[in-house]
Amino acid sequence: MASGQESGSTTLMDLITADPSSVPPNVTPGTAASTLGKPPVADRKTKKSTLMQIQSDTISAAKALNPIKTNAMPQRRKKTPVSYAQLARSIHELAATSDQKNSQKQLVHQVFPKLAVYNSVDPSLAPSLLMLHQQCEDRSVLRYVYYYLARILSDNSSQGLSGGGGIPTPNWDALADIDAGGGVTRADVVPRISEQLVLEASNSDPEVHARRLAALKALTFVSPSNSEILTKLYEIVFGILEKVAETKQKRKKGIFGRQGGDRESIIQSNLQYASISALRRLPLDPGNPAFLHRAIQGVSFSDPIAVRHSLAIISDLAARDPYSVAMSLGKLASPGGALQDVLHLHDVLARVSLARLCHTLSRARALDERPDIKAQFMALLYQLLLDPSDRVCFEAVFCVLGKFDNTERTEERAAGWFRLTREVLKLPEAPSVSSKENNTQSKDAPSKPKSDKPATRSKRPQPLIKLVMRRLESSFRSFSRPVLHVAARVVMEIGKSRAAAYALGANDMDEGAYLYSYADSVDATDVDRNDSSLSDGARNKALTAVASGRDSIASLLASLMEAVRTTVACECHYVRGMVIKALIWMQNPHESFEELEAIIACELSDLSWPSALLNDILLTMHARFKATPDMAVTLLEIARIFATKAPGKIDADVLQLLWKTCLVGAGPSGKHTALEAVTIVLDLPPPQPGTISGITSVDHVSASDPKSALALQRLVQAAVWFLGENANYAASEYAWESATPPGTALMMLDADKMVAAASSRNPTLAGALTRLQRCAFIGSWEVRIIAVQALTTIGIRSGEPFRLQIYEFLHALALGGNQSRFSEFQSSNGEDQGASGTGLGSLISPMLRILDELYLAQDELIKDIRTHDNAKQEWTDDELKRLYETHEKLLDYVSLFCFVPRAKYLPMGPISAKLIDVYRTRHNISESSGLNDPAVATGISDLVYQLKETPKKEQLYSIDPDLANAWAANLEDDFWSSNAPAMSRVNEFLAGAGTDAPDVEDENMVSRTSGTYEDMWAKTLLQSYEAEEDDVRSSGSSSPESTGSVETSISSHFGGMNYPSLFSSRPQQPQESRFGPATGSRSTYEGISSPVREEGPPSYSATMQRYGSFENPLARSGSQSFSSRDDESTSQKPRFGKALYDFTAGGDDELDLAAGEEVEIEDEVDGWFYVKKKRPGRDGKLAGLVPVLYVNV
Amino acid sequence: MLGWANRSKYIQLVYTLNLICKERKSRDRAKIAEKMLLAVLFTNSDGNILIERFHGVPAEERLHWRSFLVKLGADNLKGAKNEELFVASHKSVYIIYTVIGDVFVYVIGKDEYDELALAEVIFTITSTIKDVCGKAPTERLFLDKYGRICLSLDEIVWTGMLENTDKDRVRRMIRLKPPSDI
Repeated sequence: MASGQESGSTTLMDLITADPSSVPPNVTPGTAASTLGKPPVADRKTKKSTLMQIQSDTISAAKALNPIKTNAMPQRRKKTPVSYAQLARSIHELAATSDQKNSQKQLVHQVFPKLAVYNSVDPSLAPSLLMLHQQCEDRSVLRYVYYYLARILSDNSSQGLSGGGGIPTPNWDALADIDAGGGVTRADVVPRISEQLVLEASNSDPEVHARRLAALKALTFVSPSNSEILTKLYEIVFGILEKVAETKQKRKKGIFGRQGGDRESIIQSNLQYASISALRRLPLDPGNPAFLHRAIQGVSFSDPIAVRHSLAIISDLAARDPYSVAMSLGKLASPGGALQDVLHLHDVLARVSLARLCHTLSRARALDERPDIKAQFMALLYQLLLDPSDRVCFEAVFCVLGKFDNTERTEERAAGWFRLTREVLKLPEAPSVSSKENNTQSKDAPSKPKSDKPATRSKRPQPLIKLVMRRLESSFRSFSRPVLHVAARVVMEIGKSRAAAYALGANDMDEGAYLYSYADSVDATDVDRNDSSLSDGARNKALTAVASGRDSIASLLASLMEAVRTTVACECHYVRGMVIKALIWMQNPHESFEELEAIIACELSDLSWPSALLNDILLTMHARFKATPDMAVTLLEIARIFATKAPGKIDADVLQLLWKTCLVGAGPSGKHTALEAVTIVLDLPPPQPGTISGITSVDHVSASDPKSALALQRLVQAAVWFLGENANYAASEYAWESATPPGTALMMLDADKMVAAASSRNPTLAGALTRLQRCAFIGSWEVRIIAVQALTTIGIRSGEPFRLQIYEFLHALALGGNQSRFSEFQSSNGEDQGASGTGLGSLISPMLRILDELYLAQDELIKDIRTHDNAKQEWTDDELKRLYETHEKLLDYVSLFCFVPRAKYLPMGPISAKLIDVYRTRHNISESSGLNDPAVATGISDLVYQLKETPKKEQLYSIDPDLANAWAANLEDDFWSSNAPAMSRVNEFLAGAGTDAPDVEDENMVSRTSGTYEDMWAKTLLQSYEAEEDDVRSSGSSSPESTGSVETSISSHFGGMNYPSLFSSRPQQPQESRFGPATGSRSTYEGISSPVREEGPPSYSATMQRYGSFENPLARSGSQSFSSRDDESTSQKPRFGKALYDFTAGGDDELDLAAGEEVEIEDEVDGWFYVKKKRPGRDGKLAGLVPVLYVNV
Repeated sequence: MLGWANRSKYIQLVYTLNLICKERKSRDRAKIAEKMLLAVLFTNSDGNILIERFHGVPAEERLHWRSFLVKLGADNLKGAKNEELFVASHKSVYIIYTVIGDVFVYVIGKDEYDELALAEVIFTITSTIKDVCGKAPTERLFLDKYGRICLSLDEIVWTGMLENTDKDRVRRMIRLKPPSDI
């Protein structure tokens, strides 16, 4: 035989149609199938002499050159690849003569095997196949016929069978439509096929029962959407079961599989098998008692595969309706029942199904009042732990651990951990089929069949955990990779359950004990309280009392973990990946993680890790964090190892997700450290020795390996963006919560001293600033841009000393100060020289302008206040309005750069608060929507006199500073730490379970007019993460790369300002709860005038009092209308603007702009204006989106 | 860095992807009920696919799986011992693969068909192939027995579930004899 190696370049059909049986193929590569119609295999003679072979060798070369010649040589035709058309034609011909031996032989040896190569089967073959089906007697031919009929029946476009590889076939139905002549669609033939098969399947003649089985099988391939055939199939299956299932009592015990017996019983068993198999393929019918009844009868069938299928059906049914299943199973489960026999059944999957069934039933709440039944199934499950097959044993362990599918709750997992650690195994008898090791253990297990409660402790029971640990350890000694992989997975699941147990704590455990009929919850709480070291003492005591065991759980675990660690040496990456996951899960927050760190660091230096696997591990850490928030810092440290060791393989989004989760979940005390851990990524250790510090590492990586440098840069970008977005959160420093008015601080202190003081007050933020500043003048162009943006974000959000510090820095940067001041750093990066002077400067300028505007407005305000004060003037409504519009305008500007809570943010500093509130209250402007509120814009709100009060605002700024301080400090801490539901909400969201998670966010954000894109982002982000997580957890069928696209799409957009930041949703919530009760006490600003007087400038209080005298804003509304304001008419619609720069549309809904063009602004959506132009531009469009920054309003 | 101009385009893209995700999720939900043996794949040592059977894998994902598996085999199976089992995983899907003669065999499964169950499946498949071919097959031999191998596979994996595990029984079934003879 030919080696076949040389034919690798040919198609499968070329390969297979070369001489199949006798001669080594002279491969004819590149020779297309000869389409000259000829029956290719018409009269093939296999028994040719070796002479022929010599001849063939000589002619083959010529043939390869000229395929037409083969026509002239009929005896060699078989060498030509056969086209589908030829095959089809020969089937038709041979079907007509199927009674002849010769044609049967050809069908079996030539035509059918070749047909199998094709993807699908032409429905027009069906008539010939059906003819064969009716007339042919040859078993082999018939088997093929059933095979192809099944393939025609199965709807291969969606799922089910799709034929052998490589040779795609056209869409037959579409072809048939085109080809009017002999066109046969599947729709035409399926009824005929099914009719014939149904007929055959209903034939109860024992002579043809083999064909009956095959017909039944072929029928199950029908697509589930075809309800007509399905109904018939149900009828047939139940009809067969009706006849054959009843006689089950006749079965002789202990005899399985193929045994001698009377003909009738064998036929019966065959039919039992076929019908149960067909039933398994049919859609589950949970409500149907007949379905359940037949399935349960199937447990007693003699065919092992039939038993397997029926158990699978039952366990599926049990998940939906445990009560009726348990009732129907009845005494089958009792000792000596059929389920006990399954324990000895030589079919692994049957026992696996049994384990799942037992687990479902023993956990079912519906069976709470029948503890005896539960106990039976529990006992069965424990017996399965001793199963010789690892598959069954581990399935049982999973069941014990509470891992059933991927939807189990934390409580179940926690209960699983306690079950594992506390359960004491008592076996009815030593099972006959158990491994050597387990035999030794089960010997001393007393036979007490009915008890599963640990309370009824007998003399020498076997602790469950010991058994499991031994089993696992022996598995880790295996050489088989699948076994290692699965063992590591079991350990991981143990870790998960353990983490869940820790997370829940004692109180929840009581509930768990009640739920799962645990007697000694005292013991449970005992164990749980000193959770740090797994409570060796208490545990040990309990166990020694019970099991005379000297091993504590901790020591058992330790030896197990030792076995796990040695498995890292396995050469298979996937096994190692699983081991690392297991280690991460078994890691306790209070243990030192140096060992784990060392293992991971050492592992990652291996270059051949697939990146999907690494990201998988990152996601595992994510899950680990969700289970135990205490581990944030540990996990971030590990994540840092990933980022530094394998930057090219880590998805920045996955990493960012991890950072964010850790930061949010770390709680008030942890978040500073968490942010620190993130920022360390910025100081990635240089891959090459010789660099002075981490600062220049990016450039140096690029020198060594451009690809990983790029990846690293992306990670750094992500980190920089993350830092900018979340530093304020981590530092609990917000401009709108700062207690000291910035103006006074400015006046009092020298800026440098102030910065120093601030950094000592808030080291987290100061540290972040330092890092960002360093990034802003070092590193690649992209990193610098993002760093500058991040700085601006922090600048806008932070209180005073920080803002000033950033302002100064940016100013210096814009002036090109970095060139001179930091020139020593510039040597490393050639690219920067050109870019830093102009490019960055122009990029910074709008940001600087924002800050400029803020400061200008502040100065202006202070000046105004002074003027008013000195002149003892009162603020007129016009002045107030101007002030308010400035406020709004600044808010709009600021919102372009980053999210700030519109209702609370005061661009002109806290002193503007009262004035703005005065104006707002008087004109019923709601804080959140501002002047964009249509009611305000049209002046309607002015007509409504005090319709709604907006008291919360002034509460915020009128409370005494101490209180405000305390509140500002505790704001988000309260929210995240003490508020357990919130935390779990985050967890759910991250788990993909919580579609309700973004609710909080939504209700806050919808109120902002400019929140649309923000919203969208939040939603898209959440949903895509959800999908991603979902993929991870359950829908694993997704292909390796398919989710990757989603992940990367989520963003590389951290440069944009629209990423929903942590705090975008957060601050409002606690404010409400905090100040809600207070609103009743003080309703208007008169009420608060006294605290104002204390803290504000004296002049101010005078004005305040004057406002107090305004009685009726209605009266003034006419006079103050829209008098003489030109440039600040942001409130009016329509607004007009002028394009500042050229803008080229990047999307369908965007609009080209030419600098200087006049536009009418219709709407603003988070940084974008929807504008109309007077005449169409280059793109011919009149209206569309343009960036706000491009338009001068 | 993402420019202003790209943003709306980008947002659109994310939306579309989102829709796709949702759609796939709902489809996956429907599929969850059936714990499937997702695929069986045979390739030769050059990565040409000889036989493939997908169950419940959407058509657009099959391509990914093929390339993923072929790469896996090319990386690991060269020079491997006959029937030495290899393991891989992707998310919650497990892959077991091996080499028999010149032919690489991969099986993919999830849930119930975890590593060990798949090892069972692949053991059945390899032993049946050896039974059909008489030995560990060369590529040529495998192709010669192509039809019978397809039939055997049809008996071993039936609509995404493991059916017969006994090679003798498979041999009987492909000759259209009942599982237990009279």
